[in-house]
Amino acid sequence: MSDKDLQFPEKKEVQSSAESTRTVPVFIPAVDIYETDQDLTLLADMPGVPIGNIDIDLDGEQLTIRGTIAPHEENGRLLFKEYTRGDYYRQFSVSNSIDREKIQASMKDGVLKLVLPKAEAAKPRKITVSSS
Amino acid sequence: MAIIRYPNWLWPDFSSALEDVERARRQMDRLVSAFAGSGGGPMVSGVFPPLQVREDGDKICVEAEVPGIKPEDIEISVHGKTLTLSGQRKPEETPNGNYHRRERKWGSFSKAITLPDEVESEKVQAECRDGVLKIVLPKAEHMKPRKIAIKGE
Repeated sequence: MSDKDLQFPEKKEVQSSAESTRTVPVFIPAVDIYETDQDLTLLADMPGVPIGNIDIDLDGEQLTIRGTIAPHEENGRLLFKEYTRGDYYRQFSVSNSIDREKIQASMKDGVLKLVLPKAEAAKPRKITVSSS
Repeated sequence: MAIIRYPNWLWPDFSSALEDVERARRQMDRLVSAFAGSGGGPMVSGVFPPLQVREDGDKICVEAEVPGIKPEDIEISVHGKTLTLSGQRKPEETPNGNYHRRERKWGSFSKAITLPDEVESEKVQAECRDGVLKIVLPKAEHMKPRKIAIKGE
């Protein structure tokens, strides 16, 4: 094992006082968030979650993403286990400068992509200074 | 076949070293058994991708979580009892963006595991769905359990 090998971090479970109604564990997905002049993009790793099982909710400033894994057949004797299957849940607070009507969500290869366009007012504007 | 153990006095210098090896092996066994059980036990390798290996009758099923990797960027090879997964996790292209968070890892990976039995390498099937890779490896014909009929007179 060299330092060059891509490592996977251990999945972190959501710490919640309320018990889940499902028996599967709930994990915090790893995310990338980047901002451009036009929008804010969020990428979340949610392996095992089909497109139809993603629930995105923007309530006030709170953005909640939830992914429920598909039912899975697990036959046979387990010999080796490096990860646990589970649902995903994470919340972010998002500023009001997002254009809520234009939020786009897509899912590919187990990665959720959310594009949150900025409202017109929040986009940076170049102001040219004219000499009088 | 009987296994004959040599008395310790034959190798007085090695006996303590052998005990150390034995102790290390027992610790490893304990680690492995804790890890194969239920729940999120300690991780053994930490090398991407994380795997689950199951033995189901005459086949071995290997699953790996590979979110964000296109199926064509994963290479699977079987050589004898060794299964190798390699490929690359590419970063998303970001045109002039500033990162607020960057938790998803990317880079190239290569991971080999030893299978419990020999498999039919021509009949290995793999599919990738929702970021989970599933490889089904049928056991080699001579490794399959066989029923032996007893002939009467």
